[in-house]
Amino acid sequence: MKKKTGVFVCHCGINIAGTVDVKKVTKDLAKHPGVEHSEDYIYMCSDPGQNLIIDSIKEKGLDKVVVACCSPTLHEMTFRNAAKSAGINEFQCEIANIREQCSWVHKDMDKATDKATRITRSAVERVQGNESLEPISIPVTRRALVIGGGIAGIQAALDMANTGYEVVLVERSPSIGGHMIQLSETFPTLDCSQCILTPKMVEVSKHPKIKLLTYSEVQDVSGYVGNFKVKILKKPTYVDPEKCTLCDECVRVCPVVTSNEFDLGLTGRRAIYIPFPQAIPATYTLDIKNCPGLLPIACGKCADVCDPEAIDYDMKPEIIEEDVGAIVIATGFDLYEKENLSEYGYGKYPDVLDGLQFERLCSASGPTQGKILRPSDHKEPKEVVFIQCAGSRDPELHCAYCSKICCMYTAKHAMLYKHHVHDGQAYIFYIDIRSGGKGYEEFVQRAVEEDGVIYLRGKVAKIFEEKGKVKVWGVDTLSGKDIEIDADMVVLATAMRPSDGAEDLAKKLKIALDKDGFLAEAHPKLKPVESVTAGIFLAGAAQAPKDIPEVVAQASGAAAKAIAILSQERLFHSPNVAKVNLNLCTGCGMCVDVCPYEAVSLKDGKAEVNEVLCEGCGTCQATCLRAAIEVKNLTPAQVHEMITASLGG
Amino acid sequence: MVKLEDLKKEATQILKSGKVKYIIGYAKGAAGFMPIPAFISDPEDAENLTWNPACVHNLTKFIVDEKKRLKKEKKPDNRPIGIIVKGCDSRAINVLLQEKYIDRDDVYLLGVSCEKTGVVDEKKLAKTLKGQRVVQIDFEDNGNFLVTTESGSEKIPAEDVLAERCIECKANFPVVFDIVFGEKIKRQVDKPFQSVETIEALSQKDRWKFWKEQLDKCIRCYACRSVCPMCYCDECVVDTISFAVEPDTSAEEKAQKIKWIEKSPNLSENIVYHLTRAMHLAGRCIDCGECERVCPLDIPIRFLNKKMEKDAKNFFDYEVGFDPDQPSLVSSFKDEDPEDFIR
Repeated sequence: MKKKTGVFVCHCGINIAGTVDVKKVTKDLAKHPGVEHSEDYIYMCSDPGQNLIIDSIKEKGLDKVVVACCSPTLHEMTFRNAAKSAGINEFQCEIANIREQCSWVHKDMDKATDKATRITRSAVERVQGNESLEPISIPVTRRALVIGGGIAGIQAALDMANTGYEVVLVERSPSIGGHMIQLSETFPTLDCSQCILTPKMVEVSKHPKIKLLTYSEVQDVSGYVGNFKVKILKKPTYVDPEKCTLCDECVRVCPVVTSNEFDLGLTGRRAIYIPFPQAIPATYTLDIKNCPGLLPIACGKCADVCDPEAIDYDMKPEIIEEDVGAIVIATGFDLYEKENLSEYGYGKYPDVLDGLQFERLCSASGPTQGKILRPSDHKEPKEVVFIQCAGSRDPELHCAYCSKICCMYTAKHAMLYKHHVHDGQAYIFYIDIRSGGKGYEEFVQRAVEEDGVIYLRGKVAKIFEEKGKVKVWGVDTLSGKDIEIDADMVVLATAMRPSDGAEDLAKKLKIALDKDGFLAEAHPKLKPVESVTAGIFLAGAAQAPKDIPEVVAQASGAAAKAIAILSQERLFHSPNVAKVNLNLCTGCGMCVDVCPYEAVSLKDGKAEVNEVLCEGCGTCQATCLRAAIEVKNLTPAQVHEMITASLGG
Repeated sequence: MVKLEDLKKEATQILKSGKVKYIIGYAKGAAGFMPIPAFISDPEDAENLTWNPACVHNLTKFIVDEKKRLKKEKKPDNRPIGIIVKGCDSRAINVLLQEKYIDRDDVYLLGVSCEKTGVVDEKKLAKTLKGQRVVQIDFEDNGNFLVTTESGSEKIPAEDVLAERCIECKANFPVVFDIVFGEKIKRQVDKPFQSVETIEALSQKDRWKFWKEQLDKCIRCYACRSVCPMCYCDECVVDTISFAVEPDTSAEEKAQKIKWIEKSPNLSENIVYHLTRAMHLAGRCIDCGECERVCPLDIPIRFLNKKMEKDAKNFFDYEVGFDPDQPSLVSSFKDEDPEDFIR
């Protein structure tokens, strides 16, 4: 049967027609062998435009369609669906990109028109070799994995669980809660952080649909959207939570004191400990790094005093395997490394703190029971300097990006300080005040007007200790005057950075990182919660610095995206996948090594493609020296014809 | 020193015991001093085996041929083939293993040491001897060859007559073998890429002129392809068809022959052929130099492959043929791979 191809050239208003003579392209294509019908229209993607394609297919009995328009990432689906509704296989429709790859990047109309003709001709040649394909259908495992038990992970897990899907929530530390549980009050309403977070934590622990795995880490992820296989390493806590009665006897006898990470080193804890009173799950963890040893000979005091015999030194790490259909990553942030901020004496002088340490000082459950006392001598600081952008917005030395939340929390810190120390004075060094957000600007104004916080626009040049004071030298760039403050304490609004281990996890999940190491979203505007890998979604500060309301909104967004997958019974996958020619395959395995999706494997000495994993990228086809593997509808024969069509004439 | 008697004894024994199907080695040629490849299946013929600096051929090519033959046989004899390998040849074995073209059990490797020297370049030898006919050439101590001509014997420093590739050799001792003859003496190579550096030193214009002249000579006899153990593809890019014809291949599809390269030997097509071959050998060529040796037009094909080898080493710290388990050059990616040449 002779092939009848229809060519439809779009003007895209003047986007294409401004640079490309679409009438000429249409006329030239009409002469191309195999082209039965050639037509142009101002907006092919509009309803009348699509109808024009559908009608032409029906009237002229077209069996192949080429639409010369914008990038296939935008309207390929639109036109394939149009072709399908006209009764031909959707894979008999190809896009010739004459906008992004032609009209937008050229000025000379004659040359651009010639190029558009060649691009379209090459698509016509390609479509001649297209097979009719049917989408590959795959079943969906209708449960989800959430990595990270901070506010983002908690919110995403609850949203999915409340919709009715099972959720596995993995947290690497002994308790969920993340950084939010460490905070004192939250801006702009100054409600207590623990008071609003703990109900959610309790809900997680009691939820019948949530399987909580704390002190656990994701070790390996394989599979694909709808069908991920996850290996989770559950580290031993050496305490059986079922037997533990929380009597605290073990802590009393433990001889080891080590730095308490929950209070950021401001207090100590024992080797056996409960991270904080409201920890979920409520149980002790034996920190093996600091314990003198698991042999009763080495110490064994905690096991001796444990009446319910909850302490089990023989507990072993466990590998738990879970099948899930979607994954939400909410690994959060860590603070910019202390070592990098030595210019502020951070890590050198005890009275130079970071924002999180100050949160602990303000917190009622903190090391000072909510009294603001400086660490060096436990005296109430009368003058406190807050420094914004410590590590942020400094492309030369530190992070180029804005950590976003520091303006607001510094205003909050200054305000909280004033509420605790009525006769104290707070100074804030700032570059700009970024207070976009509901109620945020008013909050900053309140700090200035009601709490008398002095904002100084400028950077701090030097900080040093002298006679029990922390001297701060800086410049007020508005007045141009040098400033010297004999402060009692300095608080740095340290930059946020991706949490430790985020990079490793990204590698395991095969998702991308941005230039700063945060998890990269698939599209900065239109796909802000999707990762580049289908079925893996991002939530919280792991993706970029953000505050609690934003984190919660993004977590719910990620949950909704995951639910969109979990609510399907089957998913469909593009059939444009690689196919092995067994006669030519020598089984060298280069395609196996090169496949970015791990879709190719060797079976009986020949390559085999897992069609569900294959994304049809064609890397294998380009690598194979023997032309033994080819992507359906983009075969070497088609590529050859496309090259001939674009070079010839 | 390789004791030829030991080699013959081992060959006789493995043939007698049936451990190998046959042995591919070197034997005295019918004319001149250059040995010829010998296929020995009768234990008594093992007497004919020889080993001397004129054993230039890379015999692993015949393993590839054997593998292709076996595929077609209905009841294949899958016993291993005994094969004599020099250092460079053993690296070719490693590449074939790496590409899973052969299994380690397919071959029984009789390694021979190049005794800190290598093999001769016939042309260099003829020049040095000013036309005297060579009867026999042997390894001597201290990096010399003992050359017997019609008018007597003389010692010649090996360096004067070594094949170019041997001067830059990284493995003058087999890197993989089942049994080995001769001593493992590592020869220091200071400039492993000196030959290609002379070409690199030319300006772009001069280089283009050089290659235009060289490749214009090519008559596309494909001797380079035929002798190469890595050119084992059943369908080559220069052949007009690059897909297999199956029972269900339609006449229309058969007519759809892809002609990536024209058959006619003109400069443009010759360039595409040689550059494509060089690219297809990147990270696979072990520099046995056979392509250049067999070229009837004396095209310095080795330079192309050597350049690929040099870039692989410099950019990706990749060396071919020493580890059969390493991932291939073009299919592997390391985080620390340089990216500055991507523009």
